[in-house]
Amino acid sequence: MSTPVPIPYPYLRHDTPGLDTDDDSIASASPPPARATPAPPAPGALLSNPALRLPTRWSEQDRHNLLTVSGDGRELTFYGAYCSCVGDRDSAAARANHPIPPACGIYYYEVEILQKGAKGHISIGFSSPEVRLTRLPGWERQSWGYHADDGWAFPGHKDGNPYGPTFDTGDVIGCGVDFTKHKVFYTKNGNFLGLVFENVGKGVDVYPAIGLRHQSESIRVNFGHAPFKFAIEDHVQSQRDLVWASIQTTRIDWDLLYGKDQKLDEDAPEKQDTATAVPKGGALEEEQMKAPVRKLVLSYLAHHGYARTARAFQAQCEGRHDTAAALDRDVDMDGGLQASSSTSDLDAELDLRARIDIVNAVLKGDIEYAITHTKQHHPTVLEREQGLMLFKLRCRRFVELILETSEAVKKVQVEEKESAHDKVKEEEPEPESMDGLGAMDVDDPSPEAHCMTSASSLDGTVPSASGDTLHPSSASRRSPAPASPSAVTARTALETAIQYGQVLEADYRSDVRPEVRSHLKRTFGVVAFADPLAAGGEVADMAGQEARARLANELNQAILESQGKPAHPALETLYRQTAACVTQLGLLGTGSAAFADMSKEFLEA
Amino acid sequence: MQPAQKIVIRQEEWERRLHEVNVSKNDLNRLVMDYLVIEGFKSAAEEFSREAELAAPVDLDSIESRMNIREALQRGDVGEAIARVNDLDPEILDTNPALYFRLQQQKLIEFIRQGKIAEALEFAQVELAPRGEESPEFLAELEKTMALLAFESSPSAPQSILELLSPAQRLKTAGEVNAAILESLSQGKDAKLVGLLKLLCWGETMLEEKAEFPKLDLREGMLTKLQ
Repeated sequence: MSTPVPIPYPYLRHDTPGLDTDDDSIASASPPPARATPAPPAPGALLSNPALRLPTRWSEQDRHNLLTVSGDGRELTFYGAYCSCVGDRDSAAARANHPIPPACGIYYYEVEILQKGAKGHISIGFSSPEVRLTRLPGWERQSWGYHADDGWAFPGHKDGNPYGPTFDTGDVIGCGVDFTKHKVFYTKNGNFLGLVFENVGKGVDVYPAIGLRHQSESIRVNFGHAPFKFAIEDHVQSQRDLVWASIQTTRIDWDLLYGKDQKLDEDAPEKQDTATAVPKGGALEEEQMKAPVRKLVLSYLAHHGYARTARAFQAQCEGRHDTAAALDRDVDMDGGLQASSSTSDLDAELDLRARIDIVNAVLKGDIEYAITHTKQHHPTVLEREQGLMLFKLRCRRFVELILETSEAVKKVQVEEKESAHDKVKEEEPEPESMDGLGAMDVDDPSPEAHCMTSASSLDGTVPSASGDTLHPSSASRRSPAPASPSAVTARTALETAIQYGQVLEADYRSDVRPEVRSHLKRTFGVVAFADPLAAGGEVADMAGQEARARLANELNQAILESQGKPAHPALETLYRQTAACVTQLGLLGTGSAAFADMSKEFLEA
Repeated sequence: MQPAQKIVIRQEEWERRLHEVNVSKNDLNRLVMDYLVIEGFKSAAEEFSREAELAAPVDLDSIESRMNIREALQRGDVGEAIARVNDLDPEILDTNPALYFRLQQQKLIEFIRQGKIAEALEFAQVELAPRGEESPEFLAELEKTMALLAFESSPSAPQSILELLSPAQRLKTAGEVNAAILESLSQGKDAKLVGLLKLLCWGETMLEEKAEFPKLDLREGMLTKLQ
């Protein structure tokens, strides 16, 4: 966790549509299909991860040679010119080009029967890559199929069971696998036929698979190329809700959350509180977990220095504890945790007013305060990484000085405009005169222009005259009167900034760390803009409040780390840890993880 | 996907993944706000709204009345609770007969607890018996409650009946009312933060079967080192 900017991560996005358009079947005889409307077969899939491609077409390689794949990869037709060579037990099967990623939770595809043929020995289902292509899916281990001629379902051996209706030319058969249950379901013409088979896709890759046996049998597949007959999204949604509800019945295990190895620690008494033998479930269990959750919230508030909130929160917690304890002594609801340990926790953290004040100073742009007080209270922080933190603070100080200058200059300009406007009114009362004034600003040797001039020559050789020229030019230009107070302020601000910049440049001239070089360069880049905040892009990003917030956060973390405390609040790590677990579970084939959509459940309003 | 021996995810790699999780301070602030609102920390929610520059998701005054209702029930003052619920939104009880029955039952329990036997009998006959006729479920609950009179809180009474007098029963009623009010305000019943903790417990337990990875020690807020 080194860089401060979060990188977008392909993570269980509910709304990421689209199949993988990048077909990797190398010797593909036909071009990859063009899709008009790529519909997600299962919302909630980890679709953007290249390791998690979805099937897009029938494989040109992974098929029996009596089956022909159409140009777009979607149709399969049995062209057995020599029917006799297909024995009684033999058939011809084909698999899709990619296996199904279990992380999609539920996968679904549909097949239209174009031509049932004389006997209708068509099997629709799934198979693993080892299964022979001379057998109908469902007859061999690790394959599963639903057969058109009798409506039976075959779970990997020849003893099938009656399952659904038979199907015929023109029917659309849907075929889904639910990785949260490791079961399969079929639909016929949009109607759900029920769950069937067990342990599908446990520990093996599964592919959509089709088996045909007779001349001219033909099917066309929809791997999400077109809208489905069956309302799969509703189905997925309802399954998702079920899975989520079931996950949410998980009991919060504080031993787990507090690290199992610490069971016999010095904190044992407190732990007993959370593990007291009160009846499971319901209100009491809820009461029990209040203390640790409150602690989590309190430490989050303290971490970010939300001091008033933390105090109010703590006061309310204590008030409640008292009421509850007085009423319900026999339950001992919060186990006394509130009153004792979290109070001292809070004091310990909030009494570090110094840290909070420093961080707030950075947020307000008062870098001098931040540097002085960091030096005083947390001296090791400035020395970290060979003074990198100090360097960044000083760069920020320079940016702040430039911003001050820019503000002061703006003020002078406004005043000048006003006085010029008055004059124009007196001398030549034209209504269009404002335009002239606007143009004048660009050409005139205004303080703004000076600022830019000096900026360009900032690297060491600033003409000391720049400060001097400022006064006569702006003064002589319009009014013989002495420089206005704001003009003086602007000049002083500029001089201070330039001087600070020169020292900064000199101090770090010999620091060749690339990080330092590029940061310094970007810092001085800000000078080139009269109004950096309005400049937009990288400059505004470097100068604006966001940059202050980043620096404040960095400094906060550095101070906390120097005290041996976690750089992130436990609450934040909790979120990240949970997200990482869920993602990893998805990658390892736990379908239910696909339905734990954290940003939907926790982040959306 | 072969049946796995446990894969090992090293500390550094895991931390990188944690870092890549897309979540902002503002997201987390909203999680905290949600907690403060649902759990009824009104003044903390107000302060937080200012300090974090975050709009509260509901009218914060509703928090206060919701908390007052909860406290009234925990005190055993059912009459006050019912009046306050009706002040807040009369529809809550009108559209939810089970909840109304639960409150009336609690009132009966409180009469019995206070030894007001005559009041208890009258209240049961006038208010509760007609409702008991509405549904067998209500009737069973009513019978169970009336059994309290027979046992007069003697320790020989069955546990399921004595429980009605326990603080847990008050908490249960208070929790149900609280949930109904939150629902009427289109708020979740449980704080999202609690759901997050549940998901982590589920996730770490599931993942433990398949992988070795650094767990979170929530007390320290840090990852535990892999052995």
